[in-house]
Amino acid sequence: VIAVPAFPLLAASTVTPQPVPTNLFSNSAAVAIIALVHVQIATFLTGSSFLVVVSESISMARGDERHERLGHTLVKGMAFLFGFGSALAILWVLWILLGMWGTFFIALTRITFWVFIFEAAMFAVEIGLLYTVYANWERLRAYRPVRLGLLVLLAVTLWWQQFFIDVIASYMLTPNGGDTNQLAQILNPTNLPLTVHRTVGNIAWAGAILAGISAVRYLRARRREGRSVRVSDPPRARSVGAMSATWFTGSQPAAAAHASAASETAFWDWAGVWGAVWAISATMLQPWIGYSYAKEIQLHAYPAWYRMMFGDLSNVFLVQITLLGLIFILGTVFFWRRMRASETRGTRTQVLMLVVLVLATLLAATPARFANTYAEAVASGGDRPWWDGGLMNPIGTMIPNKIIALIAMMLCALVSVTSLLRAHSRGELRWGDATRRSQWLLVGLTLTTSAMMITMGVIREHSRQPFVVNGEITIQGQHIVNAPPPVNTPDENNP
Amino acid sequence: VLRLFNRPVSRRARATYRWFDERTNSTELIHKGLYEAVPEKGGWAYTLGSATLVLILLQLFTGIFLLLVYTPSFAEAWPALKYLQGSDRFGSWVRGMHLWGAYVLIVVIGLHMLRTFLSASYKRPRELNWVTGALLFFLVLGLAITGAMLPMDQAAYWTMVVVTNIPHYIPFIGDGIRHLWRGSDFVGQVSLTRTFAIHIWVLPFLLFSFIGAHLYLLRRHGEFGSWVNYGTVSGDPEKELGERLVGAEPPYPTRRIERRWAVPRKTVDFFPDQLFKDTVISVLLIAIIFVFGFVVGAPLSEQANPATLSYVPTPEWFYLPLDQLLVLSPQTYLIFTGVIVLVGLGALAMIFLPFLDRSRERAPLRRPEVLLPGLFLATMLVLLTVLGANRLYGL
Repeated sequence: VIAVPAFPLLAASTVTPQPVPTNLFSNSAAVAIIALVHVQIATFLTGSSFLVVVSESISMARGDERHERLGHTLVKGMAFLFGFGSALAILWVLWILLGMWGTFFIALTRITFWVFIFEAAMFAVEIGLLYTVYANWERLRAYRPVRLGLLVLLAVTLWWQQFFIDVIASYMLTPNGGDTNQLAQILNPTNLPLTVHRTVGNIAWAGAILAGISAVRYLRARRREGRSVRVSDPPRARSVGAMSATWFTGSQPAAAAHASAASETAFWDWAGVWGAVWAISATMLQPWIGYSYAKEIQLHAYPAWYRMMFGDLSNVFLVQITLLGLIFILGTVFFWRRMRASETRGTRTQVLMLVVLVLATLLAATPARFANTYAEAVASGGDRPWWDGGLMNPIGTMIPNKIIALIAMMLCALVSVTSLLRAHSRGELRWGDATRRSQWLLVGLTLTTSAMMITMGVIREHSRQPFVVNGEITIQGQHIVNAPPPVNTPDENNP
Repeated sequence: VLRLFNRPVSRRARATYRWFDERTNSTELIHKGLYEAVPEKGGWAYTLGSATLVLILLQLFTGIFLLLVYTPSFAEAWPALKYLQGSDRFGSWVRGMHLWGAYVLIVVIGLHMLRTFLSASYKRPRELNWVTGALLFFLVLGLAITGAMLPMDQAAYWTMVVVTNIPHYIPFIGDGIRHLWRGSDFVGQVSLTRTFAIHIWVLPFLLFSFIGAHLYLLRRHGEFGSWVNYGTVSGDPEKELGERLVGAEPPYPTRRIERRWAVPRKTVDFFPDQLFKDTVISVLLIAIIFVFGFVVGAPLSEQANPATLSYVPTPEWFYLPLDQLLVLSPQTYLIFTGVIVLVGLGALAMIFLPFLDRSRERAPLRRPEVLLPGLFLATMLVLLTVLGANRLYGL
C-alpha cells in the first residue's frame, strides 16, 4: 500500500546506467562465493537425482532395504538443500546479475532468451517433482513404479536444466563471433563436451558428498555404539553410565539399542563405500572428457586455451591436476584400509596401485617451466631446458608426460575400484568394520573434490578475462557495448 | 518334414525326395537343425546371433549385386558407382542397403557380444565360441573399413590415406606393412586393388570360416542363455540337478562344465519357438535396412582428387572413438603407446576374455572384476564417439 503511490515516480525517473562496482567484495569475493556455492549445490542435486534412481531401481529389483533407505535419505537431502540453493540462485540473479551487472545480463538474456525460458521452465518442473516425491515418499511405497517414474522424470528434468545452463556457459566461452542464433548456441562446439563433463562430474560430486556425509554419520553411529556397548554390560543401579546411555538411546532395552547402533554403523559404512565407488568410478572417466573439452576450447577460443596452458592459469591448472591425483590417492587409500579392516584379499593390489598413483600424481604436478608464464620464460631468455641453464622443464610437459600420468591414474583407479568390488562380490567385506581413521579419508575425498570443482571454475571463468562473453562483452565495458552511442561534444568534433 | 510332403504333393515328388534323402540324409539333418533344445528364458535376447548371420548373408547378396557393376580401378570405380546411383533402376537402393546393412550389422553384433558378456556365456567350455565370435566382430569391422575405401570418392580416398597410414606408427615393421598395403609409399591403383581383394576375398573367406566354426561350437555345447535359466526350485538342489541331467534333451547336458550349469531348468524346441522369434527380429532388421537404404541411401561425394587441400576427412561413426583418441594423442610415439598399444591390448583382452575371467560366477553383479572394466570401456567408447561426433559434425 505504501509502495503503490511510488510506482509512477519510479517509472518517471530516468535510471541511468551506473558503472559496475569494482571493490573486491562486490565484484570478486561475493560473486565467487555465491556462484561457487550455487554451483556445488546445483551439481549435487543433479548428480544425486541419478544416484536416487539407481538406488530405487536396485531396491525394487532386489528388495534391498539399504538402497531404499539411501534413496529416501538422498531425496530428503535434495529437498532440504533445494530450498537454500534456490534462494541462493535467486540472490545470484537479483543481486549480482541484475543489480550489479544489469546491462550485461539483460544483453545476455536477449541473446539467449529461449534458452533461459526453457531453463526456467525446467526449474518449475523440478520444484513440482522434487517436492511431490519428498512429501509422498511413504505413500508412494505402495506404488513403487510410480515413485521410480517420478524420480526418473526428476533426473531427466535436472539434466535438461543443466544442459540449458551449459548452452549459456559454453556461449560465454566460445561465442563464435557472437552468433546470436539460438540453435547455433545449442550446437556450440564446447556445449556437448561441457555437458558430458558436467554430467559425469555431477555423479562424481554426488558420490563424494554421499561418502563424506556417510563418514560423519558412521563416526557418530560408532560413538553411539560405544556407549550402547557399555549399556549391555551388567547394569549398575543408578550408575552415571547407565543414565547417559539411556539418554543417548532413548528408552530402548540395551540389546535393542546395541543392535540398532550396529545396523546404523553397517548402513553408513556401506553408504560411504557406495558413495566413494561412484565418486572414483565417475572421476576416472573425466581426464579424457576434460581433454576433449580442452581440445574444443583450443580450436574455438585459442587465447583462452593458451592462457590455461601457457599463461598464468597454467599454475592453477597444475593445482587442478594435483587435486585430481589426490582424489584417486585418497580413494585408493580408503579402499585399501577398508579392505584391510575386513581382512579381504587384494590389499596388495591396492598398495601397488597407490604407489603408481603417487608417482603419476608427482609427474602430473611437475611444472613445465620455472616461471609464471611461458612468455615470461621466453622474455627472460630461459626458453631452453633447465639443464642447459634455462627455465623450461620438459619433464613437466602436457604432451606426452602429463597425458601418460593421466592414463596411469585412470587405469590405477579402475583396478583399485575393481579390486574392492571383487572383495565385495566374494562376500569378504563385513559392513561396520571400517576404522574411524578411514572415515576421515572419505571426508578428505569430499573436500578435495570440492576444491577441484572450485579450481576448475576459477580456470574456466578466468580464461576469458577481461570478457564475460569471450571477445564480445566485458563487465566494465558493458555500457559501451550495449548503450546507445555517446553524443559528441563540439570539442570532440573539432579538436 | 516328411509329413508335409504326404498330402499335397504328388507321389513322384515324394519319390524324388526319398531318393535324395537316401543319399544325403537330409531329413535327419533338418531334424537335428530344427529340434534342438534352447533355454526357455530370454529367447528374444538369443535372436541377436541368428540376426547377425542373416545380416551377413544380406551383405553377401547385396555385395554380389554391387560387384556386377563396380570396377576396382582408380579412374573407373567412381564413374561406375555414379552410373549405379543415377541410371540403374535399383542400384541406389541396393547400395544403400549394403551401407545400412553394414551399420545395422555392427550394432547387432555389438549387442550380441554385450549379451554374451553380461551372461558370462563365454566361460568353460564355450571359450572358443567367444574367441571365434570376437574374431568375427573384428573381421566385420575390417570389412566395413575396407568397404568404405572402395567408392573412390573424396571420402573413400582420404579414408584410405588415413587408414593405410596407421601401421606407420608401429615401430620397426610399420612402414613395411604400410608399403605392403599401399603398394608404394603413396595411395594409388595398387592400394585400391589390394583393398578390394581384402574386402571381397580375404576377409569374407576368414569370415565364413569362423562362422562355420562358431555355429559348430554353438551346436556342440548348446546355447547357454543366462544364469537365470539355471536356478533350482526344490528344497533338494542336488537331487533336482541330478533329475535334470537324466532328462536333458540334446545338445544338453553340456560337457566339461559345473553340474549346476549343465542343463537349463526349462527348455523349448528351437523350432518353432526360437525360430519364430529369430524370424521376427531378422525380418524387422531387414525392413529397417530396406527403408533406410531407400530413403537415405548411401552418399557418394565428388570423385577423389589427391591434389585437394581443403577436404577434411571424417571417419565412419564406428571409428569415431579411435579417431578421437588419435586427435587427443598428437605425437608419433604417443599414438603408438596411447592408441595402438592401448587399443591392441584392449582387443587382445577382448578376444582372450574367457582365459582372463576364470571365476565360476555367472551373474554379472558377482563378476565386478570384468563387469566394471567392461562398463568403463563401453562408457569410454560412447563418450569418445559423442565427443568425436561433436568435433567433426558439430553435434
